[in-house]
Amino acid sequence: MSRLDRTRTSAHQLRPFFSSQNLLNRADGSAQFDFGESSVMCSVVGPAEVKLRDEKLDKATIEVVVRPLVGLPGIKDKAREQAIRETLEPLILSGLHPRTGIQIVIQTMKDDGSILATAFNATILALLDAGIPLKSILGAVTCIVDAETNQILLDPTTQELANAKSTHTFVFDNKSSITSDSKQEDKEAVEVATLYSDSTGLFSEEEYFECAQICYKAVQAVHGFIRTAVQKKLEKEQQQIHS
Amino acid sequence: MASITTEEESKLLIVLPGDQLPESGLMEDSSAAHRLTLGPGLAPMDDDSITAVKAGILKHNAVGNRWWVESNQRRYVAAQGESIIGVVTGKSAEHYKVDIGASQPALLGVLAFEGATKRNKPNHNIGDLLYCRVSMANKDMEAELECMNPTTGKADGFGELKGGFVIKISLGLARRLLDPKNLVLRLLGQHIPFEMAVGTNGKVWVNSANAQHTILICNAIRNSEYLNSAECSAMVKSLVEKM
Repeated sequence: MSRLDRTRTSAHQLRPFFSSQNLLNRADGSAQFDFGESSVMCSVVGPAEVKLRDEKLDKATIEVVVRPLVGLPGIKDKAREQAIRETLEPLILSGLHPRTGIQIVIQTMKDDGSILATAFNATILALLDAGIPLKSILGAVTCIVDAETNQILLDPTTQELANAKSTHTFVFDNKSSITSDSKQEDKEAVEVATLYSDSTGLFSEEEYFECAQICYKAVQAVHGFIRTAVQKKLEKEQQQIHS
Repeated sequence: MASITTEEESKLLIVLPGDQLPESGLMEDSSAAHRLTLGPGLAPMDDDSITAVKAGILKHNAVGNRWWVESNQRRYVAAQGESIIGVVTGKSAEHYKVDIGASQPALLGVLAFEGATKRNKPNHNIGDLLYCRVSMANKDMEAELECMNPTTGKADGFGELKGGFVIKISLGLARRLLDPKNLVLRLLGQHIPFEMAVGTNGKVWVNSANAQHTILICNAIRNSEYLNSAECSAMVKSLVEKM
């Protein structure tokens, strides 16, 4: 089959990844992540000083600011801020930096669908770049159930999202394991460790778990890509010692 | 689950947060009475595993069965015993407030200098550069500094840095500059006489005969971060030729 964006041939194919790290010289960590033509940049400052009223005695205060592609931030951006902050709060080892603040700013650079997933991936790369201690990394991917064909399409573009009956974004960490036993599909889907799940539209329970399953497999590719990106950066840093 | 095999120790073993150390590999030095020392970047988790919490290179020292992750970041987190460069931002009767690039300013006792007494103590102004040693640091309190070697009571190079210029670099590059075999410094020293102080908080102070040389040295240091030996030599050569 041919997807609407014409570069992909399969329903379960992701768009090409692109990432860049350490781009902003005034931030402690920064990264850009692209899913095809969707691009999000993230900057991290911290652990830094925080206002007394926002100070937590035993943890770092995590603040997330989401800026849209055009215009002033609105309700949708506030909702994304909450989603990202609540997913990151258990992941960041904030107990190591009490009474400090970690500020994460996310800016959409190009929007062609799946922006929340792109934002999550850019954020984790920026956090790794900033050296913030984390329990694990995360990976995010969006999928839709097409209104006409009822097919599950991975990593939809804006055009594909317009035809969606339901849209699902999943975020998984890299500590969970999965058995490749296809006979136990339902059991696998329930045991998968999900950090964040956001679904809109009309869908059945079966569809939801099938989407979770498909997204989980795709997120492994995102994890692999993050690993490769960080590896390349570290190898470049160590060149003079190990060459 | 991403697990690390110890067979690959000879080449760079890159770990990401969430990667767990294999239990069998850690206890190879059974003569050390099953004791394990964890350095930066590794933390024990609730499920009794030892997990990397930062992205970096896994390192191991057989002496004391020490494991740590060598990572890079730009934000400094104070650690005891480190030598750092700070800027005086405030003065009180008992302490100087010194900005060391951490989340909070550090405190330097007014008498923490060589041979200082209440009647005879150095007088530093706001904006002065000081090369100090971190005498106490923990995550809950402001760090404390001193401008002398604690065992001998002598200055040993600590104290005010007059003139010169300070640049901000990443912590990893600062650590590499402390290596006596560092390439860019050796190459620069062949062409320009200069003096330098490296703070492990990512600040480097450079002083030479004139401003042009100082700027050249600072640029060469900044540029050298992601270059290999050949590229580094070429870079220094081209900068020196333009002089």
